[in-house]
Amino acid sequence: METNLILSSSPHIHTRDSSRRIMLDVIIALLPAAIAGIIIFGAKALGVIAACVITAVVSEALFNLIVHKQQTVGDFSAVVTGLLLALNLSTNVAIWQCVVGSAFAIVVVKCLFGGLGKNFANPAITGRVFMLLAFSTVAGGAKPAVVELVSSATPLELLAQGSENAPGLMELFLGLHGGAIGETCCLALLLGFAWLLFRRVIKWHVPVIFIGTVFVLYLVFTGSFQMALAEILAGGLFIGAIFMATDYVTSPITLKGKMVFALGCGLVTFIIRYFCAYPEGVSFSILAMNILTPYIEKFTANTPLGGSKNG
Amino acid sequence: MNFKKSISSLKLPHYKSTAAKASVRVAPPSEVLLPMNMHSGQAAEPVVAVGDYVRVGQLIAREEGRNSSPVYATISGTVAAIEPYESEPGRKTQAILIKGDGKMEVDPSVQPPEIHDLDSFLAAVRQSGIVGLGGAAFPLWAKLDAIRKGPIKTVLINGAECEPFITSDHRTMVEHSDLVVKGVALLKEYLHSEEFILGIENNKPDAIAEMQRVFADDPAVVVKPLKSVYPQGAKQVLLYNAAGLVVGEGQRLASLGYIIINVTSLAKMAEYIETGMPLVSRCLTVDGSAIKEPKNLEVPIGTRISYLVEACGGLKEEAGKVIFGGPMMGKTAYSMEQPIVKATNAIVVMNRKDAAALEPSACIHCGRCVANCPLGLNPTAYAKALEIDDKMERYALLDKEKVSMCMECGCCSYVCPAHRPLVENNREAKRFAKKVKTELQEQEKEKEGGK
Ligand code: SF4
Ligand code: SF4
Repeated sequence: METNLILSSSPHIHTRDSSRRIMLDVIIALLPAAIAGIIIFGAKALGVIAACVITAVVSEALFNLIVHKQQTVGDFSAVVTGLLLALNLSTNVAIWQCVVGSAFAIVVVKCLFGGLGKNFANPAITGRVFMLLAFSTVAGGAKPAVVELVSSATPLELLAQGSENAPGLMELFLGLHGGAIGETCCLALLLGFAWLLFRRVIKWHVPVIFIGTVFVLYLVFTGSFQMALAEILAGGLFIGAIFMATDYVTSPITLKGKMVFALGCGLVTFIIRYFCAYPEGVSFSILAMNILTPYIEKFTANTPLGGSKNG
Repeated sequence: MNFKKSISSLKLPHYKSTAAKASVRVAPPSEVLLPMNMHSGQAAEPVVAVGDYVRVGQLIAREEGRNSSPVYATISGTVAAIEPYESEPGRKTQAILIKGDGKMEVDPSVQPPEIHDLDSFLAAVRQSGIVGLGGAAFPLWAKLDAIRKGPIKTVLINGAECEPFITSDHRTMVEHSDLVVKGVALLKEYLHSEEFILGIENNKPDAIAEMQRVFADDPAVVVKPLKSVYPQGAKQVLLYNAAGLVVGEGQRLASLGYIIINVTSLAKMAEYIETGMPLVSRCLTVDGSAIKEPKNLEVPIGTRISYLVEACGGLKEEAGKVIFGGPMMGKTAYSMEQPIVKATNAIVVMNRKDAAALEPSACIHCGRCVANCPLGLNPTAYAKALEIDDKMERYALLDKEKVSMCMECGCCSYVCPAHRPLVENNREAKRFAKKVKTELQEQEKEKEGGK
């Protein structure tokens, strides 16, 4: 019997796609927002990004070393988490806080749950929320340190106060206002969205439904087109809808499920923002829906062709 | 009924470089090895002894039971051995080795069968030794026999040939369109089928044109061009796309008055009825990155792979993997000296680079496997189920997720960016679920018996 032939299960050909390539595409898609952030907020933004990314990669590598797991940093998912976290922070966060937050996101939210694919909540978002809660006292004020601005309050707060200083729609779209590093420039985020669509990393449904739901609800409740537009352009909705609500691991597996998930995100965001006047709607809504994901999956499973409905 | 608008399918690279190549009859090999398990049912039983002289078309092993099928000598010569053979690792059977005399003398028993009614027709098809030549290996007559349970109104003729590389059905339609016509006529006459749908992927325009030409005057036959996507030729997919029909879970296709026949099987059947020559040779595609001159060959069944490779100019690179059939569903050969069997429609030889295994990594829950399963199944659930320790719990999840429906088409594994071995998992899960199900049924029976 010759043994030099490879014996294996079918199929014998595969797509050229890989997890690594997907992560790389997400990184590429985040670059415009990162660059815009550095332009808008200056060198400190670069420092925050570097701190988060390096910490993310190093902590995953160390974790794997310590628990003797196969090294996984090569899949770039840690880079994505670090980058995403950084883009959701404002530049007045201290670098050491970035390090703590990023390490928390990777070690506690991802690695302890078994690594890539096993975490139930999005590490970047959870990391951000953790920082909001942990460092609000550090900042000593009512406003959490990470969303406090270099120069002014966030547009959402200004909008809520009906302030004259509220930025115009164009400013909002280009991101020339206070906020987190990567969340303000909608133009850059849309470029990233286009890349993800082009590379078929995600489908359009989740971002469009998420943003659309918030828009429609604002339109209905405020009756102002202007206001509804401003609301979707501000406050991290684009980055959340395009990059975080579309996270594979923490959203339902079927398209149907993803659509329900996105609708839920939009709804919760609106409720938090409109009724609670709390600007952090996006992160919390995605986190809440992450937790609901297993339940959404239960009732959005596909019906097999010719099979009776599951369950 | 739960109709989906369209079945998800894949656009695979076609690699059909042999599509325009007429099939070549090669000089008979010096020996053939004929395994007794070339069909889905029980192994055939040899009726010749070592030392016997056999001629082409002579019965050398008889069928054993309903889903079994007779085996005929495919070259003339001497029976040199009847030996144990492993068709795939762990699947043991016997095989008859015939050393050829190069004469290809035809056996006098090869005479057109006498047919005058359904019974004699089915008996003849049974004797032809024809099984599903598209790879299924289910005896053709047993399929036609469904007529006894109820009328077969519609015959779906499968000419989709959706697997990459393979063009042997394509060549049948182009080169033997007369036999396809005769096959249809026979089914009309004896099964009284009223409608024939011939599904062909639109990457074979010449086959479509030829079939349309020969069936131009026959209103009962619809030549249906289909999109060239994988797995267009799979039962449920073809049924849905060509006939708009869904077979329910556990429902028999024949109970709806339908059967599906591979186009080459149909042509071979017509050939047998006409000439009396049973299934002794077939057309198959030899291709792949390691093959020097890919070709379609008409060769005796039982020919060793190495001989086919030589007939195609040999290897241009070291062989990494040899596949019986196409790259999506084919099984790997463990040796170049293994013979082709009745259902082998292709031999694909990949070079080392193409054959290299992809390292699996963690599932990233991207949902591509689910989105691309033609049947709407969820392979990630099967993988999860296999991790459950409790037997009944595992079975319950697998049963709920309908693992038994999985047709192992390979789409899920193909698209998985983490290179998870999904089909392998599915197969294991299926086997497990089937075992538990039988056990449960037996317990059920025992209980009833005890009452
Ligand atoms: S192998 Fe099974 S689960 Fe995978 S795509 Fe095909 S039918 Fe679906
Ligand atoms: S395609 Fe692969 S990585 Fe994606 S969900 Fe399915 S098994 Fe997981």
